[in-house]
Amino acid sequence: MKKLIVMLILLAGLISNNAFADHPEGTVEVGIYGLVCDFCAQALEKVFGKEVAVDNIDVNLDDKIVTIHLKHGQQLDDAVIRKNIVDAGYNVEEIRRGG
Amino acid sequence: MRMLLAFIVLSFAMQSVWSRPVSYPGGITADMNNNGDEHSLLLHYSPTAKYSLGIRSEYRRAGEYLLTSFQLNNLVKRWNKKDSQMNFYIKSGIGYADRNSSRLKDDSSVAIFSGIAGDWESRQYFMAYENRYLEGGSLDDFFMQKVRVGMAPYIADYGALHTWLMVEVEHKPESEDTITLTPLVRFLKDVHKVEAGISSNRDVLFNWTIRF
Repeated sequence: MKKLIVMLILLAGLISNNAFADHPEGTVEVGIYGLVCDFCAQALEKVFGKEVAVDNIDVNLDDKIVTIHLKHGQQLDDAVIRKNIVDAGYNVEEIRRGG
Repeated sequence: MRMLLAFIVLSFAMQSVWSRPVSYPGGITADMNNNGDEHSLLLHYSPTAKYSLGIRSEYRRAGEYLLTSFQLNNLVKRWNKKDSQMNFYIKSGIGYADRNSSRLKDDSSVAIFSGIAGDWESRQYFMAYENRYLEGGSLDDFFMQKVRVGMAPYIADYGALHTWLMVEVEHKPESEDTITLTPLVRFLKDVHKVEAGISSNRDVLFNWTIRF
């Protein structure tokens, strides 16, 4: 029974993480509300492109997730990420960090 | 007329409260529209992601005059959902209309216009409403409104060619043809948005938007 509970917990964990890929150190994945078109994605690329710490971003319109790839040794605070997204006209659903 | 002026002044004055982005901060957009009513080009810039300021040049076909104006677009409210986005805009402008025509009497006047617009969009469906009232002194004076619905026949990934099939219904109470129907196709690729269609009056619609 204990094994079954552990397996169910592990399974639930896998399912809840399904929308987000495994993220290596130096990447941040952000779930975004309102991300429905290429123009929206381009807006986020432009906004994060101005951040010194950001190498590039990937946009997944299917899952409404933006993956921010940071430059080596660089950090980007959640507050800065939220501000950039809100300033671009969108809302943050969730921020997940790798590493 | 007074109410319209007050409305425009109010929308300028309240932009810091109402406004949301029309483009991303620092974004420049070129928006060209051609249809049975007008040939126009709007170049606008979003200083922040909350409003845009632009210069619009517009040739009105029926009145045979050129309107050059300063335009302000405010994004009053945006509703961001997981799978959709909805927006409410106010668009206002003031400019100078000039007619130099072989058919109609030459004339010129200050012109103002204002209107509201709203849209709802998911990755597969689209709905929009827009209206516009223009007061151009002795040159022109009209109200129009239009509704557009659309559907994407397939859902494309970011960066791929996006295609939309749409129908636009335009209502012009003062026109001979009060209702105009325009089926059109919209393509989106990179920074380009192109729309092409033919109206029930057999006028060609061709719009092209570029975001820099």
